Amino acid sequence: MKNSIPAVPRRRILQFGGVAAGLLSATFLSGCGSTAPTAVPALAPGADPWRRFAGTTINFISENTSPTAAIAANLKPFHELTGITVNIVSLELQALVQRVALDLAGGQAQYDVIYADPYQVLAPYREGLTDLRTFISDPDYPKMVDVSDFIPTQLKAAGQFGKGGEIFALPYDAPTMVWQYRVDIFDKYKERMREELGFDPTPGPDRTWAEYLKIAGWINDNVSEVPYGTGQQAKQHDSLMCDFSNLLWAYGGDYFENGTEVGLYGSVAPGKCLLREPAAIEAAAVYNELIAIAHPGSRGWDWDGVGNALSAGQIAMAPNWHEYAASNEKKMPGLIDYAPLPKGPHRSANIYGGTGIAVSANTNGARRGAAWLFVNWATSPETQLANLKSSVGGGTPTRESVYRLPEVEGASRRPSTLPNMLTATAVNTAWEADYIGLRPKIPMWNECDTALFTELSRMLAGQQNPKEAMTRAADRIDHIVERGWVA
Amino acid sequence: MSTPTLLKDQAEKAAPLRPTMRQRLRPTFNGWLMAPGILLLGVLSLFPLVTLIAMSFSRVRLLGGVRLEWVGLNNWARALGDPDLWQGWLLTIVYFIVTLGVEMVLGLSIAILLSKITRGQGPMMVLVLLPMFVAPSIVGLVGRYLTDPTFGLYASIMQRLGFSEDILGNPATAFAAVTLMDVWEWTPLIVLISLAGLSGVNPSMIEAASLDGAGQWKMLRHIILPSITGILLVALLIRSMDAVRYFDIITVTTNGGPADSTKIVPLRLYEAGFRFFDLGYAAVIGLMMLVLTIVIARLFVRMLSGKGKTS
Repeated sequence: MKNSIPAVPRRRILQFGGVAAGLLSATFLSGCGSTAPTAVPALAPGADPWRRFAGTTINFISENTSPTAAIAANLKPFHELTGITVNIVSLELQALVQRVALDLAGGQAQYDVIYADPYQVLAPYREGLTDLRTFISDPDYPKMVDVSDFIPTQLKAAGQFGKGGEIFALPYDAPTMVWQYRVDIFDKYKERMREELGFDPTPGPDRTWAEYLKIAGWINDNVSEVPYGTGQQAKQHDSLMCDFSNLLWAYGGDYFENGTEVGLYGSVAPGKCLLREPAAIEAAAVYNELIAIAHPGSRGWDWDGVGNALSAGQIAMAPNWHEYAASNEKKMPGLIDYAPLPKGPHRSANIYGGTGIAVSANTNGARRGAAWLFVNWATSPETQLANLKSSVGGGTPTRESVYRLPEVEGASRRPSTLPNMLTATAVNTAWEADYIGLRPKIPMWNECDTALFTELSRMLAGQQNPKEAMTRAADRIDHIVERGWVA
Repeated sequence: MSTPTLLKDQAEKAAPLRPTMRQRLRPTFNGWLMAPGILLLGVLSLFPLVTLIAMSFSRVRLLGGVRLEWVGLNNWARALGDPDLWQGWLLTIVYFIVTLGVEMVLGLSIAILLSKITRGQGPMMVLVLLPMFVAPSIVGLVGRYLTDPTFGLYASIMQRLGFSEDILGNPATAFAAVTLMDVWEWTPLIVLISLAGLSGVNPSMIEAASLDGAGQWKMLRHIILPSITGILLVALLIRSMDAVRYFDIITVTTNGGPADSTKIVPLRLYEAGFRFFDLGYAAVIGLMMLVLTIVIARLFVRMLSGKGKTS
């Protein structure tokens, strides 16, 4: 054995292994995401266009929201109409964004229909989504109820990017922040509040944020039914940005120049951040005061925390997404009412958090057509009405025609069989151009959002004052925007 | 035979033994045996490592297939000049020292107490070890409920003691809370390992020390601890590898807040990689973590081998 050839040294083997791994990496990375497109099967003459892709199975990835819960609970009508099977993957938003990004990178279109959050999916990955006008104008597909039936601000904010007219997604859900309050407490103490505070405390867009603070403080001191007047979603989380933005816009501040345009149509280069402006600093100072008198849990709550606190009788009022109405009504029937958020010196602003559904640009063949049929069906007036009636909650419609239906109009008053419709008056005002609050639709928003809520969280922890918080947030956002975005 | 002739003969005999390059590359029997393992190592370790290094010098594009765009040292310069990342490192080190310190002291103490129990040791062991079998995310959820300001048990106790703030909403208490959640879950592992070590301590030495009049503290310091140092180092090594990667509980409870007070480096890595999809920058943070892990592992292994030589 002594005469045998010496073994290759371990170091040499590792060197070769490294080179081989490098070559393999390069090959793998360059090869990722290339698939040959397959043609969509043609429609046979006289055939039912809804049955064109019968037998196909598609995958829909969605955030775990109310409309998806309602659709998942009742997919039978779609299967009977089209013969298409839909698998629904329902996830928390951050997990969804990760999967969508990796799926688009892989190019395999594991998900044919995508819940396209305007800020985290649509803006950064719009190139991975199909322009839906190609389906809408194709006579081989079933005719869709007019696109103009969608609430205009929602179609632009949730479905479009840029002014080229492309429609990347159709509005699917429309959570919007409104003022949610305990109607029993306001009824009981209204006169005393009016006398002692010197104004009518009835919630509505005529109230100001300064008055909201006074009402919350008064409830803290005088009401025994709840421990605190207000609760806020001030956890170091996306919710903090949403909660603060309502005040930012109300006080005349904004994130970028032409904020409404950037919110509606989006931008890849929004310019310099405006959070250093006095209006933004004033909004931050008021928000700081608000948190100081809010329920102490506010610093650890997101929207779920606030929703639970309101329905558990811990607070008398809060700004929160209107789609909590169904769960509020279940836990506290008849006790919670809704109004547009208070105004500041500039206006009343109600942040919009709606999302559209889109077809992946990587999906092809029969799955591509089937995906469009699902998007068409899921956003149709009939399905939106069925969602409203769903026993599992259901979202609120994104089409104007649904709100005009007598049974839907009737449900906006108690007793209501469609509890989410109890918010209809408040949200219909909130969706008007003068009331809606739109955060910037920019591809790098996720990182800007994190910079803002981190600095706000530092302010709330007493580590910096409002001016420092806004200046630091603006500096960080400017760096992020300057770095740009590549998808 | 003259000396030069002898040397020449020896050289001729030795010549065939010197391998050529081709021969050196031809795998031996041992090489063939090692090949599957090396291949697996290559696939599982080297391939991702090389990719990670390449990514750290690139801007990674996802749409239309993964592509790397060379950006030189940009990502590294950004990381080295990022004050938030350095704050994350500081927090990670503080967290690392506190959790390991508390877990070791507490774990060893509980193990010694358990080793003294003569009746009911089994049920006590089960109770002590239970937290270790709970998934970290569940520990986070339980921790979140226990510290909830409206109905949490710990929050209620703290309120009675005069602390009215939200435990997870205050930077200092939030950091303490997530650290203690980790301590609660992983101290049992130290107990288990320490107990194994304690069972190996020579009883005659303890008996002799006892006869010589040594008290409990002296026995612990001069007999028990030196006897189980090796096994305690193994426990430290295992826990430190985990502590560097602490993620689940913080994500479920505070998500890094408030005011970034619990945003240790693994959370920043996740954020850069999977929230901002800034994969080049995330690769830099990942490599930094890898270096730290290697340094810690080497340190403990060196201490262990030193211990082996002295014992």
